[in-house]
Amino acid sequence: MAFNILVADDSETMRAVIKKTVSMSGVPVGEFHEACNGKEALAILAETWIDVILSDINMPEMGGMELLKKVSEDEDLRKIPLIFITTEASDARKEEAQRFGVAGYVKKPFQPETIKAILYEVLEKAYAHRLEEKPGEEAAEESDF
Amino acid sequence: MDQDLRRVIFETFSEVFETMFFTFLEPLEEAPGKEDLGQGRFVEAAISYSGGCNGRFLFYFPWELGKNITVNFLGVDEDGVQEGQVKDTAAETANMAIGGLLGKLDPGGNASLAIPQARVLAGFSPETLLGESGLCMFNTEFGILWVVGAHA
Repeated sequence: MAFNILVADDSETMRAVIKKTVSMSGVPVGEFHEACNGKEALAILAETWIDVILSDINMPEMGGMELLKKVSEDEDLRKIPLIFITTEASDARKEEAQRFGVAGYVKKPFQPETIKAILYEVLEKAYAHRLEEKPGEEAAEESDF
Repeated sequence: MDQDLRRVIFETFSEVFETMFFTFLEPLEEAPGKEDLGQGRFVEAAISYSGGCNGRFLFYFPWELGKNITVNFLGVDEDGVQEGQVKDTAAETANMAIGGLLGKLDPGGNASLAIPQARVLAGFSPETLLGESGLCMFNTEFGILWVVGAHA
């Protein structure tokens, strides 16, 4: 039921804030993984089961838009929803992201409620069956009691 | 810098500071007296953009302001704040503020933001900024935020 979340942002502080915001949102989190740029994010995606990606756009080495393009080109990775959390909120940038299948777009500065709303919306779309599981349901099914 | 741009800057920066740091900005029309300039330890954050329009902004945070926005941003204890976190918060602030500003000045999204950089300045005097044509000053609870910007 819990979701593994990859946070890609070159700011360690922003990664910490996003992790805290998600943790407080009530979304069941399995593990957080962190990347400083798109390149690191792809390396993590190659080796780790990730359910959703929260990424900045403006990052060194490989930005979020290139990461999105790489993810959208990969048959396995394209199933993973990617949400941009970024200062770059022009219509042109949003349209470009939509063309490559971005799942959500959050503009910085953000309210925690905005992240929560978009994250739930995206997770419901991609993993409705998992969100419907009630906490403890898996344990109860496996239990003899 | 014309008054319309100053107004947009104030609105955009206020949104960032209020939303992310619970800190209110008050624009200052005139520089304070020499004794109120707040010489000492500062964090400088620099960011530029190029493409459809070009610009560069330098932010000067008095250490107390930098530390306090970091505390509010991360929700950490004041004593536990590290220099790297303050620098990172200053850089991210510049990124959010100028990213937001660029969204208004360049709605077509032709310009690209560079990666922001931040460094600590020991014994810095904002007096050196007085006279800069793109100087904006904002009073806060923790000292004056100094911003020098150029947009073309």
